[in-house]
Amino acid sequence: MKLKVKRFFTGALTSILSIGLLVGCADGGDKNEGAGGKTELELFSNKSESIDTLKKLISKFEEQNPDVKIKLNAPPEAETVLKTRLTKNDLPELLAIGGNATYGELARAGVFANFEGTEMLNNIQPAYVEMLNRLVGPEKEGVFGVPYATNANAVIYNKDMFEELGVTVPTTWDEFISVLDKIQASGQTPIYFTLKDAWTALIPWNSVAANVQPENFAQKKNNAETTFKESYPEVADKMLQLLNYGHKDNFGVGYGDGNTAFAKGGSAIYLQGNWAIPEIKKANPDINLGVFPMPVTNTPDNNNLVSGVDVLLTMREDMQDNEQARKFIEFMINEENATQYTSEQKAFSAVQGVFQEEPEFEGIRKNFEEGRLTSFPDHYYPAGMGAENLIQDFLLKKDAGKFLDKMDQEWNKAINR
Amino acid sequence: MKSRAYLLMTIPAIALFFIFHTYPALQGIFYSFTNWRGYGDFDYVGFKNYINVLRDDRALSAYLFTFKFAIVSTILVNVFSLTVAIGLNSKIKFRKTLRAIYFLPNILSIVIVGFIFNFIFTHFIPNFAEDLGINALTQNILGNPDLAWVGVVIVAVWQAVAFNTILYLAGLITISDDLYEAASIDGAGIWHKFWRITFPLIAPFFTINMVLAMKNFLMVFDHIVALTGGGPGQSTESISLLIYRGGFQGGEFAYQSANAVVYFIVIVAISVFQIRVLQRREVEM
Repeated sequence: MKLKVKRFFTGALTSILSIGLLVGCADGGDKNEGAGGKTELELFSNKSESIDTLKKLISKFEEQNPDVKIKLNAPPEAETVLKTRLTKNDLPELLAIGGNATYGELARAGVFANFEGTEMLNNIQPAYVEMLNRLVGPEKEGVFGVPYATNANAVIYNKDMFEELGVTVPTTWDEFISVLDKIQASGQTPIYFTLKDAWTALIPWNSVAANVQPENFAQKKNNAETTFKESYPEVADKMLQLLNYGHKDNFGVGYGDGNTAFAKGGSAIYLQGNWAIPEIKKANPDINLGVFPMPVTNTPDNNNLVSGVDVLLTMREDMQDNEQARKFIEFMINEENATQYTSEQKAFSAVQGVFQEEPEFEGIRKNFEEGRLTSFPDHYYPAGMGAENLIQDFLLKKDAGKFLDKMDQEWNKAINR
Repeated sequence: MKSRAYLLMTIPAIALFFIFHTYPALQGIFYSFTNWRGYGDFDYVGFKNYINVLRDDRALSAYLFTFKFAIVSTILVNVFSLTVAIGLNSKIKFRKTLRAIYFLPNILSIVIVGFIFNFIFTHFIPNFAEDLGINALTQNILGNPDLAWVGVVIVAVWQAVAFNTILYLAGLITISDDLYEAASIDGAGIWHKFWRITFPLIAPFFTINMVLAMKNFLMVFDHIVALTGGGPGQSTESISLLIYRGGFQGGEFAYQSANAVVYFIVIVAISVFQIRVLQRREVEM
């Protein structure tokens, strides 16, 4: 009997110990030493669209550097996964993430390496480096990422349908509205909204707000120098005006279905970023489409294209002096590889001298060449306020006054937590 | 001696439970008194988070939605699963096959079920309604803030009926046929037999089904992520979704921990209340 008890006891102890060991492994295990003496680095990406391209580039890199193995990890809901892993102190070595509020927050928390003064930044367009710095804010000195690919938040249009109707690309808001009227009068759908997915409401929102809001809105809002109520009525009005040109179920269709519908001629105009174009072409490879910046004001020279850092490359703070991690980033930003990424992803490059040559981007090329760009307003909103759902709700209820008050309230609540 | 051995046998389970459940829960309670964002430094802020939760109208509307959803779904699930269970317990052909088929929804992952229903709501029903000329249904109900919750209820009930049916079936099998025979001799009808014999005798199963269903529906998460993402607007944002979103995406870990603690207390209170009330009407044979 006694023996049995003892055995039970050892059994229990062993299981507790092995649990402890398991936990220990997960935390302290040195993942960097892969099999066969290879250094294994994890590359975390937040874009499921770019998996194929990244895989190609990674295998090319691994051929040139046989001592390094890069493990690509591109989970769904990547930002949430990243923050969750951060709570567990389990950040990946290399990251390819978006330049948005999350990046700013993480950089402020000091989890990324500092690239200031390194050679890697020499060949990057300074405007985008500046954009990243603004996301981080003045309280933290340094550059915590290398801007890589950039995007354009624009108006996509069906060239064939425009030609049939005899309309041309508008350059002012009034022209834009009259084009929409003409399309509607012809019995076709002007804009294919996909508002079942709340984030798609941010596309027109960003285009309009970026060109209408006062400069440094977010900073002023934080200092209580302005409010949504004061600065955004025009944005709200223009959003409602655009909503008049939708289809019959604006809130019932999501992004994926919208891409297919637009590809098959469901509407003449689609308010999306350049990232939607590969998806649209998948649904209809023969579509003849073009892109132009949304003309938000009636002075064509004041209408800037909204563009942001779609992908930035960075590494964990303790990788600062890691040869292999640095090599990978240098490999990615070299001209040949950046060109490959840009052309396969239909993106734009933050690397100097690398341009997007596709004819469908004709309409916005000038903005890139002349630097007539502005950043995404929502990237500066506090992430906790959930702006996209508030905007979606506003478009349903159409009560601008109440909505702007709500935006002010939620902003204040989010920064006071 | 023997009892000590049994006691020791429980140690691994207790250890696992403590490490993976109790300890994180205690951590959550601890963080709810700080201003931790999920990473970095933090300070103690006392009850500030709790006061803010009680004043947050986004949290309040999430509570209202979750309760509306949970109560309606719990009632529907119990009505349907009891009906199905009685059917599957009677002497019909293919009884075993049918039991297996009715259990299938429980095996499917909620997210997959959600995506399938998403397709049905977006394409199938509107196209069908258009052909038939029913105007009310030509738009996706998930895109309508007043109706989206009905869509979520339909999917949740469809999925949950399977499991509760099994529990009711287990209860129905325990009732001896003698009772029904005796009742028949006394001239009782089907309705009478149900209310006087079946229902009182499966009361313990009714209790557990009500409690489990209510608790599961109060914690609804997957259905909403797969169907509406909390929209349109915030009309289908459940508390679990709000906690997850705000806590991990919005950098409000401590604040949403406080919300989670409040919610935990609410769920415990409801479950205890349910068990107390429902057990009072259980009968012993």
